[in-house]
Amino acid sequence: MQDCNDIAPTSEALQLFYALYHEALDDVRLDEWSGFFTQDCLYQVIARENWDAGLRLCFMQAEGKGMIIDRVQGILRTQQFGPRTYRRFFSGLRMTGTESTDILVRQNVLLVQTLMDQPSLILLCGVAYDRLVRADDRLLFKQRIVVADSELIENSLIYPL
Amino acid sequence: MTTVLTNRWPDGGVTVTPYWVYTDVAVYQRELERIWYGKHWLYCGLEAEVPKVGNYRTVTLGERPVIMARYGEGDGEISVVENSCAHRGTKLCWDRSGKVDNFTCPYHQWNYELTGELTGVPFRRGIRGEGGMPKEFKPSEHGLNRLNVEVVNGVVWASFAQDTPSFRDYLGEKMFDFYGRIFNGRKLRVIGYNRQRINGNWKLMLENNKDPYHAALLHVFFATFGLFRPDQASQLEMDEKGRHACLMSIFKPGGTNDVAGSLAALDDTLTLQDARIIQAVKELSGEETVRANTIFPSIILLQQVNSMQARQIVPKGPGAFDFMWTHFGFEDDDEEMQARRVRQANLFGPSGFVSADDAEVVRMAQEGFEEQAHDAAALMLMGGRDVASSNSMATETAIRGMYQYYRSVMEL
Repeated sequence: MQDCNDIAPTSEALQLFYALYHEALDDVRLDEWSGFFTQDCLYQVIARENWDAGLRLCFMQAEGKGMIIDRVQGILRTQQFGPRTYRRFFSGLRMTGTESTDILVRQNVLLVQTLMDQPSLILLCGVAYDRLVRADDRLLFKQRIVVADSELIENSLIYPL
Repeated sequence: MTTVLTNRWPDGGVTVTPYWVYTDVAVYQRELERIWYGKHWLYCGLEAEVPKVGNYRTVTLGERPVIMARYGEGDGEISVVENSCAHRGTKLCWDRSGKVDNFTCPYHQWNYELTGELTGVPFRRGIRGEGGMPKEFKPSEHGLNRLNVEVVNGVVWASFAQDTPSFRDYLGEKMFDFYGRIFNGRKLRVIGYNRQRINGNWKLMLENNKDPYHAALLHVFFATFGLFRPDQASQLEMDEKGRHACLMSIFKPGGTNDVAGSLAALDDTLTLQDARIIQAVKELSGEETVRANTIFPSIILLQQVNSMQARQIVPKGPGAFDFMWTHFGFEDDDEEMQARRVRQANLFGPSGFVSADDAEVVRMAQEGFEEQAHDAAALMLMGGRDVASSNSMATETAIRGMYQYYRSVMEL
């Protein structure tokens, strides 16, 4: 069992990791998205209603990096949707602990959507429970679970967060 | 209340729908009165959602909030009552679900049985002889409005009308047979819920699921990975009135032929890193790998690969509806099957590889209707002018069927 201090990133390193992650998504550089995950990662965006009740249904789920890449292919090459901008805001970023080599992090998330000819609106708000690991001196998501408070998704949730 | 409509249906009968059926507030009001609160069965939920006596769940039928509850002894029975206190109209149950012995209004503590009978009115006789209800007040006349209910193979159906024909007659024998291919009495298990508000008229989502013509053209994911293509065997059936439909097709692995080659949407350079999302295990009777049952007006019961969903429509005025997804499986599913259903749910819902396309297209259709002239109309000529079963995907016959029924019940 490693000492917590051996694996814990500095708060600057943590901030930078999340800033780069959100920048890549906000800029729709989706081909870079899978690079933030481990091969055997778990990614979920799940409604609080399901999370609280122990129900497993998600809005989006990827079991492993392959499905992260498939999600990107699906969005960019198969899905039909109107033009939009997503901007992601995170706050209250905090390392809540470590488990073996996993670094546990939680944060609040807010996703603001702007559609053509429409005022910007909050598409989703919630909290993320993440597990990060170190790989070759950089951080990667081993798990990212976004629990959405939002009761109703306004039309559709296209891009990840 | 009867609304007076001056709208005149354009020439063309069931091959056209005037845009005002999607935008006119008075038309929408009549839809609520005659369709949603008329002699129609509305999807209320699954029996599995209220497994024990005292369990309840709040749902919205049309625009009216109701409570579905299990009452009685032993396994009990299901009741559906309006979620509105007979005293001052306050919503009784504020949670989405729970377990109670009876319903008590938070405002003045009026108390009701799970079946809606009023059993308690605090200070009915007044306080120390002063105040209270008039002597002639009869609690039996002030219960909650109780809906007509039928539970059919694990699904709870409710109707605001007390003289609605039996659910089986409502569906007709043919549709009842298709219904039974998913709901055969095997106990169900809820996998979870997704909810979205779609900015389009509620009828557009029924049309969408009665329309094989769009499925392989709009949904590149379907066509590319062979889940739904026009060169597959397909069948589109309706009840005698044309209001319900079942759209079925049989999976065929990808590959190019004369039909597939003409699909602009098909991208055969695309491959999946992880193909588990489309790998199905046969579990239901019949050869079809996809079946979309649209049961007018409230629900689409859809099975594709091993994903099964009830997609409930809750209208919110002419220009929007809430789309409530309940994903389910069977109670005796093993871990592998449960994981498979959750995985395949990536195809559906607000973020679905396929369903997100529909939400976007419905939104854009509604924008079109609202921006166009009031007398413009949508065209539905694919597959002819009649209302009949079809083995072709190049058809809009089931949409014509729905409007044939719609015009008769709406007197439009």
